[in-house]
Amino acid sequence: MLSLIGASVGAVSGRLIIDIAMYFGIFVIVAMALNFQYGNAGVPNMGCAVQVIAGGLAVSTFTLRLTLWIVQKAGEPIKPYASNYDWVYNNPYNVQYVINDFIKNRPLFGISLLLFTLALSLVLGAAVGWLMSLPAIRLRATYLMITLITMADASQIIARNWPPLCGGTLGVYVPNVYAWYTGDRTIVSAVVTLAIGIISFFIFRTMLNSPYGRLMRSIRENEVTVGSVGKNVTGIRRNILVFASGITALTGALWAFYFSFVIDANYQRALWTYWPWLMLILGGPGNNAGTFLGCALVVAMRRVIIIYKWFFDKLFFFPIAYFEQILLGTLLMVVMIFRPSGIIPEKLLYIPGINYGKMVREEVKVDWRAAPKARTGGRRFKLWGRKGSGSE
Amino acid sequence: MIIPTIWMSAIVYACEISILSIGFTLTYLTAKIPNFAHGTYAGVGIYVVYTLSKILNLSPYIGFPISFLLGGVVSVVIFLLVIGVLTKMGGGAIVLTISTLAIQIFLTAILSIYAYWLRAKYKTYALGFLLKDFDFRVGGFQGIFPVSVSICVVTVILLHYMLTRTKTGVAMRATAEDPELASVLGINTYRIQLYSWFLTGGLACLAGSMLPLWFMSSPATGAAIITSIMAGSLLGGLDSIYGAIIGGFGVGLSEILLTTWAMSIKIGGKQLLWIGEYRPLVPMFFMIAILLLEPRGLQGVLERLQASETGSRLIGMIRRGES
Repeated sequence: MLSLIGASVGAVSGRLIIDIAMYFGIFVIVAMALNFQYGNAGVPNMGCAVQVIAGGLAVSTFTLRLTLWIVQKAGEPIKPYASNYDWVYNNPYNVQYVINDFIKNRPLFGISLLLFTLALSLVLGAAVGWLMSLPAIRLRATYLMITLITMADASQIIARNWPPLCGGTLGVYVPNVYAWYTGDRTIVSAVVTLAIGIISFFIFRTMLNSPYGRLMRSIRENEVTVGSVGKNVTGIRRNILVFASGITALTGALWAFYFSFVIDANYQRALWTYWPWLMLILGGPGNNAGTFLGCALVVAMRRVIIIYKWFFDKLFFFPIAYFEQILLGTLLMVVMIFRPSGIIPEKLLYIPGINYGKMVREEVKVDWRAAPKARTGGRRFKLWGRKGSGSE
Repeated sequence: MIIPTIWMSAIVYACEISILSIGFTLTYLTAKIPNFAHGTYAGVGIYVVYTLSKILNLSPYIGFPISFLLGGVVSVVIFLLVIGVLTKMGGGAIVLTISTLAIQIFLTAILSIYAYWLRAKYKTYALGFLLKDFDFRVGGFQGIFPVSVSICVVTVILLHYMLTRTKTGVAMRATAEDPELASVLGINTYRIQLYSWFLTGGLACLAGSMLPLWFMSSPATGAAIITSIMAGSLLGGLDSIYGAIIGGFGVGLSEILLTTWAMSIKIGGKQLLWIGEYRPLVPMFFMIAILLLEPRGLQGVLERLQASETGSRLIGMIRRGES
């Protein structure tokens, strides 16, 4: 028995590491975006699943059609894909035997396809975030949460029942953009995902260290005060939701390319809303280190349990997934009760160039020009909003 | 008198959603959080009735009071162990809401495990079932139809009596309005919160126990109907129990009737049968329409009517007509 476990550990561990790296890369982006929205700006985005599914559907709806069209123009024998029936029925043949062979010899095509999809999902995610903000952003947090959580369910229902999106209940294969790599495709996928995770980490960090980041935190602390000094609170919250939605949507596309398959069941509300929130609350909202820790903990625990399912299933009479949910739910409760601000609590904000001792002694004379990161010069994105351009 | 089956189905569903919406609103009033686990209490009721009728071979109607008590106990335990502790420690509305999401997943997992246990022990199919066979028949239709309507009506009357005539009910309303002021006046707000959590859990479980007698049920049913509950509560204004009664009934009724009506439309000789798949979207459309048009729901409409001259005259006429 022990030797059997040992052998299987040896065989599985390489695969397990890639798997955990991929899942970590995917979920850390969602959790960081959530940390950006809730941890720093106090926007409780319970609808992460909507943005993620937008990214996934961007792959199956637009990238797949575009690839089919390009490959057909290149003279490859693509079977018809216009009607709903052909779209689903000919899809395995078209993708597996024509498109993937086409990409195999053209690495540049695959890479440009990947980049195009990422850009598209960024735009689509931002559009979805803007749409989501329309009915609810002005309202109280409760209304926002209720609306977003139902939108997550609604998007899954639409994806399941409308075949032109992702083949309805059957799902569709999507082009393997890593087909040019001769070895294990999942390694490239994990590396790409982790790279995008690192890039988005730096983007978020830069934004949080900017005046806009301090404005976000001030909205989280007291939005009435921020509104009273002339900042457009609603606009800033909408901008935050739109920006973070775009980043979240990237994960949907990466997730689809990891499996080379898009189906609505891969984008469940529980998976894409509950688990990232659990990671965020577990690690501690408001700081990125906590997000990383929470994400790594939850992902490692879940993947190890799922991959050793064959072993655990012998111990219980029910599927192990339920045990895992109970375990992590209990963990969340325990952390919430005994460490309310997460495993790693948020540190006080320190802005270089400010003499805090003097401020306490009420001799406030802040020399903002000395602060290296407090200045943005004249270049500000349009996204930042009309009024809320800095906290000075 | 012959009532079409689809109307009966819609009314049974509407009664259940109405009772559930009342509980959701009551939780929102006392704890100021949307309780996402509210639908899952209904799941507890479903399995109480299943155990009684399928395993113990008793009438499912015996399960109604049992599930009311059990649901209340589950709800109170959740309040004592999680919500109360988190509130005492100063957890904000969002932390509490996340905890209710966790409770939803937790309870659903426990119900699934229970269902698997039943399957392993009694070799019955416990993961998706319909208990219509265990129902009695009155004058050509299922017994659950009159029973659910009367339970709904009796619940509403009792609740109205409780909230306006008894001391506990008045204290509950006072606690919902302003907890600090209520405690200054000598109301034990903690005990009132316990009462209201017991009441909401019990009502939700009672509504859940009626579900498998007409609708297909599984461990995930409770989590799935939460959207309709929230839509009903939002339609009522989220802070009015009477609004929730009407809102829940309206959403439940329209969810089934609108879908059936849309499915019967013929365009080019073809029925639009595919609309049936989108039935869960009906409450969501309601929700978004409410948020865009009148975020305070029916309560907001009523207040606007009272504020305007014509509206107040209309309400006065209705009042005089009553008396």
